[in-house]
Amino acid sequence: MKTIAYRFTILVVLWLASMAVYADDVVVVVHPSNPLMEISVDDVKKIYLGKKKFFPDGEKVIPGDQPKGTQSRKFFYGGIIGKSERKLKSYWSRLIFTGKGTPPKIIGFDRVVKEWVASQPKAMGYIMRSEADNTVKILDLK
Amino acid sequence: MSRIRKYRIGPMCLVAASMALPLTTMAEEIGNIQWHGYLTSAFMVSSDGNYSGDVSDAGGAKDTRMGLNISTQVDESLSFAAQIKGKGTEEFIMELDWAFASYDVNEAMTLRFGKIKYPIGMYNEYIDVGYTYPWIRPPEGFYNQDTVGPNLTRISYQGFGVDFQTYSGDTELGFNLFGGVIDVPDGHVNQLVGVKFSANMEDEIRVELSANTGVMEVDNSQGREFMMNGERHTTYTAGVIVDLTNFIFSSEFGQASMGRKIAGNRPMDMTSGYVMMGYRMGEYMPHVTWEQWDVDGGWGQEVIGVGLRKELTTNSALKIEVRQVTPETTPKPAGGLGLFSDVPTEKDVTIAGVAIEMVF
Repeated sequence: MKTIAYRFTILVVLWLASMAVYADDVVVVVHPSNPLMEISVDDVKKIYLGKKKFFPDGEKVIPGDQPKGTQSRKFFYGGIIGKSERKLKSYWSRLIFTGKGTPPKIIGFDRVVKEWVASQPKAMGYIMRSEADNTVKILDLK
Repeated sequence: MSRIRKYRIGPMCLVAASMALPLTTMAEEIGNIQWHGYLTSAFMVSSDGNYSGDVSDAGGAKDTRMGLNISTQVDESLSFAAQIKGKGTEEFIMELDWAFASYDVNEAMTLRFGKIKYPIGMYNEYIDVGYTYPWIRPPEGFYNQDTVGPNLTRISYQGFGVDFQTYSGDTELGFNLFGGVIDVPDGHVNQLVGVKFSANMEDEIRVELSANTGVMEVDNSQGREFMMNGERHTTYTAGVIVDLTNFIFSSEFGQASMGRKIAGNRPMDMTSGYVMMGYRMGEYMPHVTWEQWDVDGGWGQEVIGVGLRKELTTNSALKIEVRQVTPETTPKPAGGLGLFSDVPTEKDVTIAGVAIEMVF
């Protein structure tokens, strides 16, 4: 019994550690002209859950999303936003069908999101760190 | 092409076109218009006929329904959203469920005007979207099928709403002020005004308190309608939803003061409430619900129900439900007992149902 509990604890710790690593592999990106250098995790959450419509400096933000099934989306929503696909669907259903909000527009996979952010001064997106280059600006998460 | 459709053919053709889209298509965007929808396919059967909402002993699919929802962001502050609902098995009825414009004054304040879903009760604003809650039918003493019922749920009002939103740490605090008119069968609820306070802790704990008042004016001079005609009604509700990783708890309580005073009492005054608990085990969530609905005149009902929800995909679920309904023994003014339109032959009536719910 003790062995099972020990193994279970190790598995949970490893899973939590892996989520933290994965979350770190996803970066939040904006247009290079955006003056922001960092943003809080709380602000990112609010922007992607439709509760905040402006960057912290007061400029309008247009968040872009990735389709279900991408690694970036899995790490972003699992590690940063903290919602499963099921909870996310339930959350947006409550807003959509009361007319109080719509989810961020699905832009595409990492490369498409990067190109969209690079062409849209008000955009915010998330991509794998390995996909980022100097056409977009990575925001530090605080 | 999308612009041509949008401006030349008109909104109704867009509705028809969207109905031809594959259901697996998630939110579609045509221009800057977003499309969403919901579907409920349900079959319910009762051990005794005449239950509210036409659940007969032969069974029926009257809870089957669909809805289409459009929304568009006109500019940075102004948006528009509308929803049409279709239901019925013998006569298919398509109606405008709600349609309103929203104006974001700032991040903390939003103005709405148009036809707006009545914001009383934690599930009422999305009551037709079965995917969003555990039951096939939410507790009927609270979310009455009868539009002249205790809490005037399932309907929309025509008027305005002002939403205020702020944060205290991780808790989102909301305040909603609304007013207008409600159309009910053969009449209206006039001078409607209400307030709602809500607190949302990371979507894991949500609490709501509400109060509203209005004056019902109906042409029908028989039974309950006669007792409510020209009378001011006041309703108070309180509710909480706890939605953790596995455990879900939901409870609401409503008290309505309505109808004429007769011999110093108001026999139409009523209270309703329920408690639901469920536990998720992977794709399965068994749940149990107890509900009570009491009218001072002596008619009401107690319901105990068990159900099972199974997630089929991330946007669809299968539900199975069995309820035992025990109506009070005093007949209501319009006849019947509890939510039965005629006196049932059994003391306890069993209602069972199966449904598939989907959002897209």
